[in-house]
Amino acid sequence: NEQLAIPQLRQSSYRHETPPTNPSRRCLHLGYFGGKRLHKISWSAPKPSPLTRSAPMAKLAIFFTLTLSLLPFLSHSFSPDTPTDRRILVLLDDFSLKSSHSIFFTSLKSRGFDLDFKLADDPKLSLQRYGQYLYDGLILFAPSVERFGGALDVAAVLDFVDSGHDLIVAADTTASDLIKSVATECGVDFDEDPSAMVIDHQGYAVSDVDGDHTLIAADELIRSDVILGKTKIEAPVLFKGIAHSLNAANTLALKVLSGSPSAYSANPSAKLSSPPSLTGSAISLVSVVQARNNARIMISGSLDLFSNRYMKSSVQKAGSPSKYEKSGNEQFVTEVSKWLFHERGHLKAGNLRHLKVGETGEPAMYRIKDDLEFYVDIFEWSGNSWEPYVADDVQVQFYMMSPYVLKTLSTDKKGLYHTSFKVPDVYGVFQFKVEYQKLGYTSLSLSKQIPVRPFRHNEYERFIPTAFPYYGASFTTIFFFYLFVFFLVIKTRFAGALQMAGFFIFSVVYLYNNRMVGRPPFSIL
Amino acid sequence: MARSLPGFLALIVAVALICCSFAAAASTFQPISESHRSAALETFDRSYGSLEETYEALQTFDVLGVERKPDVGTAACQSVSQTLVSSSSTLKDIFYALKVNGVLKCEVDADSVEGIVSTLQTAVGSASSLLEFYHSIGGLVLVKNQALKDDLYLADAEGVFRSIKALSQSDGRWRYSSSNPESSTYAAGLALEALAGVISLSSSEIDQSLIGTTKNDILKLFERVEKYDDGAVYFDGEESDAHENQGPITSTWSVIRGITSFAAVTSGNLNLPGEKILGLAKFFLGVGIPGDAKDFFNQVDSLACLENNRVAIPLILSLPATVNSLTRKDTLKVKVSTVLGSDAPPLKIKLVRAKDTPAIESQELKFDSANKVHVLDTLEKSVDVGNYIFVFEIVFNDPEHKKAYAVESKTEVPIFLTGAVKVGNAKIAVLDSDLGSIETQNLDFAGENLVSLGANHLQKLKLRFQLTTPLGHPFKPHQAILKLTHESKVEHVFVVGNTGKQFEIVLDFLGLVEKFYYLSGKYEIQLTVGDAVMNSFFRVIGHLDLDLPEAPEKAPRPPVQPADVYSRYGPKAEIAHIFRAPEKRPPQELSLAFLGLTVLPLLGFIIGLLRLGVNLKNFPSAAAPAAFAALFHVGIGAVLLLYVFFWLKLDLFTTLKILGFLGVFLLFVGHRTLSHLASTSSKVKSA
Repeated sequence: NEQLAIPQLRQSSYRHETPPTNPSRRCLHLGYFGGKRLHKISWSAPKPSPLTRSAPMAKLAIFFTLTLSLLPFLSHSFSPDTPTDRRILVLLDDFSLKSSHSIFFTSLKSRGFDLDFKLADDPKLSLQRYGQYLYDGLILFAPSVERFGGALDVAAVLDFVDSGHDLIVAADTTASDLIKSVATECGVDFDEDPSAMVIDHQGYAVSDVDGDHTLIAADELIRSDVILGKTKIEAPVLFKGIAHSLNAANTLALKVLSGSPSAYSANPSAKLSSPPSLTGSAISLVSVVQARNNARIMISGSLDLFSNRYMKSSVQKAGSPSKYEKSGNEQFVTEVSKWLFHERGHLKAGNLRHLKVGETGEPAMYRIKDDLEFYVDIFEWSGNSWEPYVADDVQVQFYMMSPYVLKTLSTDKKGLYHTSFKVPDVYGVFQFKVEYQKLGYTSLSLSKQIPVRPFRHNEYERFIPTAFPYYGASFTTIFFFYLFVFFLVIKTRFAGALQMAGFFIFSVVYLYNNRMVGRPPFSIL
Repeated sequence: MARSLPGFLALIVAVALICCSFAAAASTFQPISESHRSAALETFDRSYGSLEETYEALQTFDVLGVERKPDVGTAACQSVSQTLVSSSSTLKDIFYALKVNGVLKCEVDADSVEGIVSTLQTAVGSASSLLEFYHSIGGLVLVKNQALKDDLYLADAEGVFRSIKALSQSDGRWRYSSSNPESSTYAAGLALEALAGVISLSSSEIDQSLIGTTKNDILKLFERVEKYDDGAVYFDGEESDAHENQGPITSTWSVIRGITSFAAVTSGNLNLPGEKILGLAKFFLGVGIPGDAKDFFNQVDSLACLENNRVAIPLILSLPATVNSLTRKDTLKVKVSTVLGSDAPPLKIKLVRAKDTPAIESQELKFDSANKVHVLDTLEKSVDVGNYIFVFEIVFNDPEHKKAYAVESKTEVPIFLTGAVKVGNAKIAVLDSDLGSIETQNLDFAGENLVSLGANHLQKLKLRFQLTTPLGHPFKPHQAILKLTHESKVEHVFVVGNTGKQFEIVLDFLGLVEKFYYLSGKYEIQLTVGDAVMNSFFRVIGHLDLDLPEAPEKAPRPPVQPADVYSRYGPKAEIAHIFRAPEKRPPQELSLAFLGLTVLPLLGFIIGLLRLGVNLKNFPSAAAPAAFAALFHVGIGAVLLLYVFFWLKLDLFTTLKILGFLGVFLLFVGHRTLSHLASTSSKVKSA
C-alpha cells in the first residue's frame, strides 16, 4: 500500500491539502494523490503490416493520416474544460448482455458516449497505451470474471480510478473474488457469504412468478438532486442481487439505494442459523463513491438492475396500493450515470478576487479593520456547457491557522458569488479560502494568500477629546511662558541666558514628545 | 474440439450467467406474450437502411401479428421493384427483395420476374461459394413460393446438390467456399436451407443416399450442441475473421431455419430427439426480450420456424402465476401452448407429485375450456403454506401427437403457496437469574401499544411467540430476527430460535455485557418475522432500559457509526471576528471642563499682569537695541508658533528645517540683545 502510494504522492503532492483522517482503504485515499485530470490524447497505433514497414514514405503518410484522424478525437476527449467522459470501455461476461441491457447502453450512446464493448477475458484488454489512457470511463458488467484478460488487473483498474477516471461495477450472486476485491478497494464490502442475496419480506416486488422475495422494490433513495436528477423517481427500483455495506469511517462513499429496515442478506434456500451479517438500513444496494480527485465510482449489487427486463417491467411494492407501469430502474440508472460520467455535479470555481471597498484594483496587502469585498465565480458543467451554479451555502473563510471570518456568499445567479466584511484587527498572513463540499458535487478548494498589516504611525486617531486638557495645559503654558519672558524677565544678562537655556531644553522636550505621533503631546510633562 | 482457452472460459461464464439470470426468473419458460409485441414496435420503430433490415422488421411484425405502419409497406414495395428491375442488384439484394415481397405481396411485373429468374439460374450454375448458392437458390424458391412464375425448375438439381454437399465437413459444420478451410455452424444452417431449396426446385427425385448422408450431417451437427442446466440447448457462435462474429443466437437461428426447411421438403424422419428441439425453443424463450433488432428478429423467426415444423413442434408448459395465495383461494393454473402462444392439441396435465412433500398425491388437472387453462382447485384443503416443487406431466389425448410434438416428460415447477400465518401467545418478560419473572407483558402485534421494560446485567430478557399456519401446523419462517438498537445506533441482531412449536429467545445480559460494549441506556426492541409464504411483519415492540456496569479500561469500544450524510455537508456556522474593544474614555464634557480648568491659571496671570501694570522699563530705548530686542521676542514667538504648527500638521523634518533658520536668527538677535543688556548693566555697575 505504502509503496504504491509514494510515487503518486511525489508526482502531484502540490494538490495534497488535507491529509486523510483514516485511510483504511486504498480507494479512500487514492483521491488525495490524483491531480487535475490531464488532457488526454487518444492514441491508436496502426497494425504493423509488411507494406507500411517497407517504405518510409508510406510510414509518413500513415503518420499524417493518423494525426488527422486523431484530431476529432482530441477535441472530443476529456479535458478540464469539458469534464464529461467520452470514451468508455464496457467489459462483459458475455456479449448477450449487449442485447439484454441495450436500453442502458443506447441511452449512453445517445448522450454521445463512445462505447467499446469487450469480453472481460479478452486477451488484448488494456486501459492504456504508451502511458496514455485509452478510455475515460470503465463499466464492469462482468460479475463472474475470475481474471481479466490482457494487461488488466485490480491494480490497473485502481490506477485508472486514481488518475481521475470513472468506474461502474455491477455484481450479482455470481460475483467473483476479483469483482469483490475491486469493490473492497473502493471502500465497499460485499457480503462474504457467496450464496447470500438481499431478501426483504416487506419491501419485495409483487410478482406472480417470483416468490422468494429476492426481487426487491427498493425506494429508499438518497435525497440528492444532483445524483438522482431533479425529477423525483416515483416508482420503486427493482433490485435482485447481493448486499454490500460501507465502512462507517468512509466519508467518500454514499448509499444511493439502501435496503429497507426489514431487509437482510442471507441465502434464501437455506435455514437462517446465525444472525445475518447485514440487516436493515445498513444494507446498501447501490453505492457511489466520489474520490478526492473527483473520480466517481458506482457499485451495484445487482447487474439485472440495468437490464431491459427490469427497466420495462411494471412494479408494485408489497403492501402498497400503487402499481407503476414501469419500474424506476431506467430513470435511476440514467440519472446516476449522468452524475457518474460528470454530466452533472461537476463544479468549476475561479477568478477569486477581492478589493478594498471604494477601490478598483486588488491590493497587495490589507490594513487591519479595512472593509473589503470578495468575489468568486462558480460554474456547473451541464454536460455540454458551463452554467452558473446557484446555491446559498457557498462560504468563504478568512483564514490564518484557523478561520477568523467565515461568511456565506450571496450569488447574483449568474455564477458570481460576493460578500464583504471587515478585516480583523489581527495582523499576519491570511488566506481567502473557499472550501466547498456538497453531497454529490465535486469538491472545490481554492485559496489566495493576502498579508494584513497593523496601522501605520500616522493612521491612528490624531486629536483625542480626552486629551484636550493636556493640549490646553501645554499651550497655555507656552503662552504663559512667552508673556512672562516678554514682560517680566528681561532684566539681567544672567536671567536672559537662563531664559535661553530653558527655552532650548523646552524645545528639545517638546519636539521629542511630539515626534511620538498619536500620543498627547507633552505626556512626559 | 479446437477451441481457444478464452473462448472456453467465455462459454462457461455465459452458461453460468444465463443460467442464473433466467433460472432465477422462473425455471418455467413463458411463451411469447403481449410484452414481446410492444417491445417489437419499439425495437423496430425506425427507418430501415437496407432491404435486409426491412425484411427483418416486417417478418417480426408478421410473426407476432403486430399491425405495421402503412407507409412502411409502400416505401418497401418501391424499393423492391427498383431492386428487381435494376441490373446492378447483387444476389443478396434480390434475395431480400423477394423476401420482402413475400411478406408484403407487392405487385411485380412479369418481365422483371423473367429477368430475375434467368439471373438467378445463371447464378446457381456459376456459383462457387455457399452464400452465392444460398442467395440464388433461396431467391428461386421465393419466386416459386410466391407463384410469380409457374413451372420453375432447376436444370441440374442433383449436380447443384452435390456441389453444395461438397462443402460439408465431417463434424457436421460447413465451409463457406471450397478454397476457405474455415467452417461454421452458421454456414451449416445456410447450407441446409439451400439444400432444401434445391430439393423443392428439382424436377426429379434427388438421390436418396444423398439425402441420407445430409441427415447424418444434421445428426452430427447436433452433437455439437451446448446445454444449459434448465434444458435449453443452443449452438455456440464462432469467431471468424472472414465473416462478422456469429453469436449463439444467430448460429442457432441459422441451424433452426436449415433443419426445419430441410425437414419440410424431405420425406421420412430426421431422427432428431424431441428434447433437443424443445431445448432450442427454451433457449430462445429464455433470452427474454432482446434489445438488439437483429437478435430480436432471430429469436422471433426461429420460434416461428419451430412453431410449425415437421420434426417436432415444441409445447411449453407454463404457469401464469407460481405464487398463489391460499387465503385468497387462488387456483393453480397451468397452460400449455406452442412457443408463440397458440393453443396446444387436446391433452391432459397430471400433477405427478410434489418433491419432498409426500402429502400431495397424483391428480389430474381440470381443463377450463373457456380460458384454455388447466386448473387445480383443491389446493387449500390439502396443502399448507410453503414452497413446493410440483412435477407436472403432459399426456396427449391422441397418442399420435406424441410424435409430432416435443414435450418435456416431467416439468418441475417451483410453487409458492402463501397464506396468513397467525401469531399467538406472544410474551415478553424480564427474568431474574433464578428465573422468577418480574414482569411479563403480553404482546399484541396488531396494536400500536409499546412495552417499556427495565433490566440490569444480572437479569434476562425472554421473548416467546407462536406461529400457526391456516391448517393449524406450526410454521417456521426464514427470518425471525430480534434487533436491539441502542440510542447511539449500535445494533445487536439475534436470531430467534424455535423449539418445536414455539419461538423463544432468552438474552442473558450477564454474558452479553461485553458484546453490548457496556452501553447502558435505552434500547429499542425490533422484531422482524418474515417468510416468502407468510404475511411478514416488522414491528417495534417497545424499549428496554438496560443498566450495565461501567466499562473496564480494556473493554472493546463500540464501533463507529456512520455519520448522517445530509448533515455532513451542510454549511458551517458563520464566524464573525470579535474586534478588540476601544479603551474606555471619559465623556467629552469632562475633558472640555478640564480644558477650561487648564486655561484658568493663564487667565489669572494675564489679569494679574494687568492689575500690576506692565513693567517695560528695561526694554532698550535706543533704536538698534530696541529693534533687536523686538526681533528677539518676535523670534521666540515664531518658534512657539512653529511648535503649534508642528503639533497640528507639520512633520519633524519640516519643523527642524524651519527651526534651524529661526534658531540661527534667534541666536544672532538674542546675542545682540544680551550683549546690549550686558553693556548697559556694566555701565550701570561702572556708573
